[in-house]
Amino acid sequence: MALQNLKDFHRPGAVEEVLALLSENDEALVLAGGTFIRGLEARGLLNGLETLVDIRRLGLDTIRVDADGIEAGATATLAKLQRVVAAQNAAWLGGLADALDCPPLQIRNTATLGGCLAASCPFFDIPTALVALDTEITIRGSDGERRLPLPELFFGLFANALEPGELITGLSIPHAAGHSAGAFGKLGAHANVLAIVNVAVQLTVDGGLCSAACVALGGGVADTVVRSPAAEAILTGSKLDPAALAAAGEAVAGDIQPLSDHQASAEYRRAVAKVMTRRTLERAVARLA
Amino acid sequence: MKQMISLEVNGEAHELAVEKNATLLRVLRDQLGLNGPKRGCDSGGCGCCTVHVDGQAVYSCMCYALSYDGASITTAEGLAVDGELHPLQTSFIEAGAVQCGYCTCGMMMAAKQLLDECPRPDEEQIRQGISGNLCRCTGYAKIVEAVKMASER
Amino acid sequence: MKNLHVVGQSVERPDAYDKVTGGKGYPINVRLPGMLHGKMLRSPYAHARIVAIDASRAEKLPGVKAVLLPRDVPQLKFCPVYFVPVQAPSMVQDFDVMNGDIVRYVGQPVAAVAATSVEIAEAALDLIDVEYEPLAAVFDPEAAMQEGAPQLHADAPRNIAKNPSFEFGDIEKGFAEADHVFEGVYQTQRAHTCYMEPRVCVVDMDRQDNITIHVTTQHIFGTREKLAFALGIPESKVKVVKAPYIGGGFGGKLELTAMEPVAALLSKKTGRPVRIEQTRQEDFITTTRNPIKVYLKTGVKKDGTFTARYAKSVLDCGAHATHGSEVIMVHGAFGVFFSYHAPHQKWEGYTVYTNNMIGGGYRGYGAPQGSFAVESQIDEICAKLGLDPIETRLKNSRKQGEPHPFNPAFTLGSYGLADCLKQGAEKIGWAAARSSPKDAGAKKRGIGLAIHPVWVSGCMGFPDIYEHSGAIIKINRDGTADLATAAMDIGSGQITTLCQIAAEELGLPAGAVRMSSQADTDNVPFDAPTHASRVTYSAGNAVKAAAAAAKKRLFEVAATLMEASPDDLEVSAGRVSVKGAPGRSVSVAEVAQRAESPFVQMTAEGPKPTTMEEKGTIIGLASLSPKSNPPPCAAQFVEVEVDTETGEVKVLRMVYAHDIGRTINPKAAEGQVEGGFQQGMGYALMENIQFDPETGSCLTSDFLDYKLPTAMEMPRQMDSIFIESDEPTGPFGAKSLGECCVITPAPAIANAIYDAIGVRFTTLPITPERILAGLGKL
Repeated sequence: MALQNLKDFHRPGAVEEVLALLSENDEALVLAGGTFIRGLEARGLLNGLETLVDIRRLGLDTIRVDADGIEAGATATLAKLQRVVAAQNAAWLGGLADALDCPPLQIRNTATLGGCLAASCPFFDIPTALVALDTEITIRGSDGERRLPLPELFFGLFANALEPGELITGLSIPHAAGHSAGAFGKLGAHANVLAIVNVAVQLTVDGGLCSAACVALGGGVADTVVRSPAAEAILTGSKLDPAALAAAGEAVAGDIQPLSDHQASAEYRRAVAKVMTRRTLERAVARLA
Repeated sequence: MKQMISLEVNGEAHELAVEKNATLLRVLRDQLGLNGPKRGCDSGGCGCCTVHVDGQAVYSCMCYALSYDGASITTAEGLAVDGELHPLQTSFIEAGAVQCGYCTCGMMMAAKQLLDECPRPDEEQIRQGISGNLCRCTGYAKIVEAVKMASER
Repeated sequence: MKNLHVVGQSVERPDAYDKVTGGKGYPINVRLPGMLHGKMLRSPYAHARIVAIDASRAEKLPGVKAVLLPRDVPQLKFCPVYFVPVQAPSMVQDFDVMNGDIVRYVGQPVAAVAATSVEIAEAALDLIDVEYEPLAAVFDPEAAMQEGAPQLHADAPRNIAKNPSFEFGDIEKGFAEADHVFEGVYQTQRAHTCYMEPRVCVVDMDRQDNITIHVTTQHIFGTREKLAFALGIPESKVKVVKAPYIGGGFGGKLELTAMEPVAALLSKKTGRPVRIEQTRQEDFITTTRNPIKVYLKTGVKKDGTFTARYAKSVLDCGAHATHGSEVIMVHGAFGVFFSYHAPHQKWEGYTVYTNNMIGGGYRGYGAPQGSFAVESQIDEICAKLGLDPIETRLKNSRKQGEPHPFNPAFTLGSYGLADCLKQGAEKIGWAAARSSPKDAGAKKRGIGLAIHPVWVSGCMGFPDIYEHSGAIIKINRDGTADLATAAMDIGSGQITTLCQIAAEELGLPAGAVRMSSQADTDNVPFDAPTHASRVTYSAGNAVKAAAAAAKKRLFEVAATLMEASPDDLEVSAGRVSVKGAPGRSVSVAEVAQRAESPFVQMTAEGPKPTTMEEKGTIIGLASLSPKSNPPPCAAQFVEVEVDTETGEVKVLRMVYAHDIGRTINPKAAEGQVEGGFQQGMGYALMENIQFDPETGSCLTSDFLDYKLPTAMEMPRQMDSIFIESDEPTGPFGAKSLGECCVITPAPAIANAIYDAIGVRFTTLPITPERILAGLGKL
C-alpha cells in the first residue's frame, strides 16, 4: 500500500520550521528513519495521511559522549549509537550494546533513536534498554523545551505523551554511577521479529551489595515498557546471589499485565518474563565481576 | 506533484522527478530500470531490496526517496568494477550460493557492509550480518560459505 | 557404472552470473511500453452475498483506465491446477475468477481496476462501493462437516468436496491379530511457500483475443490451458512466455489465480498491457499448504511388525477445492500408506470446504502432513515397546526389487533406504547419542530420526496428471549446443542439470550446452510443470533423448567427413572419433560447420559440390513420457536442544541421507537438501499462517508476523549424504530429489524433542509456548 493521499512532504532545515508545520497541522506525521511509518503504511494504516515532515535535515544526528554520559540527537541512527557504545566497551552500557545487536543491519542503519521512542511500540528492543539506563528525552514545542524521563513518554500501546506540535529532539543517557553493569535479553531472538518478551537490567554494586537496580521489561508484557519495582526492591541491598536473582525474576510477574496475541498468550509471556529476567540479571552480574 | 531529487547511483548522477510517496526501491526499479534491488515484501522483512546508501546497507523499500536527495547509492549492479566481479559475486557463484537468485543481490549488499567493516568475520558474525535477509532456497549454508570465501580473497 | 564426464560434477550454474550482477530474467522485471497497473479489490468478509457493486466513483478518478466487475468476467467453473486437464474428472470444478454473487473467504477478488500507476489503482479501489450481506462462516473443517453447518457450495453436502478411500485386507482382523494398538491424532497447520518473488504478471491482450503473458509460473503450458479456458478462447490464442527464471515456487505457483485472467481482461478493455504485482499480503492469502488432521491407528506385534493400519485424514481446502482434491490423494498414498507394509489397511480422506483461504501446492504435496503422523507414531510405538527405531522402520518397509506400491507394473528397481539409514546413523553418531545421559541443566539435548520411504519422480501412472516432456537441441557451428525446453527453472537448478545431461550425451564439455532464454508456448514442445520432483528424471530423459537424436545426426555428418561408418563413431570432450582409433577425429565444430556450409564451395580448382546428405542443421528432438516412476527415499537425523524454561528449540545438527539415484550435480543437490530442511524446520517449529477466529482475516501477512528461519536459526552443521544408486530408467541413473528433503524434518524434530524432554507433540508448529505447556509449566 502506498500513501495514496500524501499531499506534502516537507524537508525543513530548522527545528522552528518543524514546530511551525506541526502547529499548523496536527495530522502531520514526523518522519525520521521511516521504518516504523513504512511498516504502518504497508499494513494500510496510513491511507489517509496527507503530510510528512522529514526531520533529518535538522542536524539532530550527533552523539556526544563525556563523563556525564551520552547525549544523542533524535535522528541519530541505531547504527551510529552502536558504534559509539562499542567504542566505550563499558560494562554499564552492556544492556544497550546487547539490544543494539538485535535489529538487522538494514534497520540499524535506517531507524533513529527518536523514531523508535516516539513509536511507543512495546515490542521494540531499544526502548527497553534505554529505560533501564534512566534515559531522559528532550522535547521541543512552541512553548520551549522540556525533559521527560523515558518511561513517562510511553502512554499506551502506540500512544506517546507528546502534546500536539511537540517533537523529540534528543535523549541523554546519564553515566551510571559507581560500579555498574547492564544486560539485555530478548525472547524471540529471531533476527527480524518483534520481541515476545524483552528485559533490560542495570545493576550497581557497592561493597558487595547491590546499591541500585533497574529492571525494565517490554515485548508485550504490558501496553508499554514497564519497570518492575518489586524486582528492583528485592535486588537492592541484596548480594545478587542466585537466590536473589531468582526471587527478582519471580517478582516481575506482579508488575506486568501481559498481552495475548497471535505470537504468544499472556500466560506464556508471564512465564518467560520471569525466566528472562533471571537470566538477564545473571548476565549483568557476570559483567560486574 | 512530483519533486526533484538528485541521486548518484552506481557512480552515475541522476536528476529525478519523484512522487512524494515513492520509496527508494520504486525509484531505482521503475525510474532507473535497475533489477538488482528487488521487491520481496515491501515492508522491511525480506531484505531482497537491500542497497547501500552512502556505504550503509538499507532496505530500500523502507526509505522514502525524497529523504535521500543527494545520496550516493550502490546496488548489486554497481558491485563489479570495470567489468571485474566483486569477490562476493565470484564467491556466490563458486560456492553454489545462488539458487532462484531472487535474494542474492540483497544478500550480497548486506554481506558487503559486513566485509567492509569486518574483513575476516567468523561464521557467527556472517550469520548475524545476513540475518536481515531471507532466503527460501538454500538454507543459507552455501551463502555463509560464499561470504567466508569472499573474505579470504 | 559408465564413465561420465559432466554428469556427477558440481558444474557452476550458467544463470548465476546474471543473478549476481542484477538478475534480469524474472517476470517481475518485465516492463512494457504503455503498461498499466492493475489492482484487485478483495472481500473483507469470509462469507457474504454480494448485493451491489458501484464503481462509478472509481471510474471518474483521473488515471483510471478501466474497471472490471464480475459481469465483465466469464462466469465459468473449472479446476485451476496446472498439472491436470482443466476439466479433469478426478478434480473438482468449482473455481471461478470473479464470482458476482458470493464471497467465500477474506481476500476473494470482487472487482479490479487498471490505472496509470499502482497508487492510483489502489486509490481507485477505495472508491468502489460494495454492499455485502454477511453470511455465517465456518472455519473448522470438522465443524463444516456437521449437519447444519454453513454450506459453501450447493453440490457439496456437508461441505465435503472429495471423499476418497483405500482398503485392502481385513482391517478388523488386522487389529485383532495385533499385540498392541496405537492411536493418535496429528494436526498440521497452514504454511506458506514464501517464494521470494511475488506473484506477478504482465499481460497484453488485443481485441482479437491474442494474448501474450509474462508470469511467475511453474508451468507455461498450464497457464496457457487454464487462462484460455477461463477466458473462453482457444488455447492457441495464448502465448505464455517462459521466464528464464522464477524467484522461487516450491509449489506455490502451480495454479491459475484471478490475477492472470483479470489482467488479461483489463488489457483487452484498455488496449494496453496490464501488469498486476501482488503485495506480500496478497501472496499470503493466495495459496497455502493445506492443513490436515490425521487420525492414525496402528496394530503392532510384540516384535514391532505392523498388522493393521487405519487412518482418517481431514483436509481443510478452504473456499475452493483446487489442489485439495489431489493433495488428499497424494497424502493418503505417499504420505500415509505407501510408507510401510501392513497386511490390512484402510484409509478415508475428506477434502472439506471452509471459509478459509484456498489451499495450494507446496513441496511434498500432502506428504509432510502424513509423514508427521506416521513417523511420529512409529517413534511412539518404539518408545512404548522398547524397540529400536531404525530396526523397526526397516522391518516394516519395502525392499529393493519389490513391486511399487502404487503401480505393480513398476518395481523398486533402485532402492537404498537401508543404506540411507545406516550411513545417516553413522554420520550423526546415533548409537552413542541415544545412550548418552541427559543433561542436568535447563537445556536438554535429544536426537531423532524420520524416514520417507517412498516418494515420486514425477507423476507417471497417476490418473489425470500430465507427465511428458520435450526438448529441442541444436548444435552450433562453434561446437556448442542450444537446448530449448518448456521446463521451468524455479531455482532448483533445472537449467544446470538439464544442460549437464545434454552435454554428457553429446560428448561436449560442461558449459558447452546453453539453455535458450527465448522460449514460449508457441515454440517449444509441451512439458508438465516443474513439480512432483520430476524435472531431473522426466525432462532429463527427454533432454537425453533429444541429445541422442542430435548425436545420431552428428555421427551421420561426421561419417561422410571421416569416411567412416556412423556406427563406428564416438564423441567425447567435443571431438568425434573412430572407436579404437582416437587419432582419427574431428571436432564437433567442424562437423557442424560442414553440415551448414554452402552446398557448392569455391576452391582453388573452382566450384566444388559437397555431399547433399550431410546438409542441414544438426538438431535433435524428443517429446516423450518417462518409462517409470522410480522412488527416491531418505532418512533424516537431527539433534536438538530444548530450553525447558523458555520452550525454545534449537536444531544443532542435521544429517540427511538420500537415495536419489545418480547425482547429476552434487552441489546443487546439497543446496536442495539444505533449503528443503530450512522449509521443513520452519514448518516444524515456527511457520503458521494465522487468522482472526472471528473474522477470518489474516494476522500473519508479512515477515514480521510470519516467521521463517533466518541464517541465525539454522543448524550450524548440515550434512547431506547421497547413496549413489543407479536407476535403470533414469537419465544416467538419476531419480529425483526436490521434495523428499522437505517431508521429514517435522517428525524428525518432534522425535528429537521427545528424546530430549519426554513430551510428545502432535500439533504443528511446535512453538516455545507449546513446549512449555507440554512440560506442564503454563
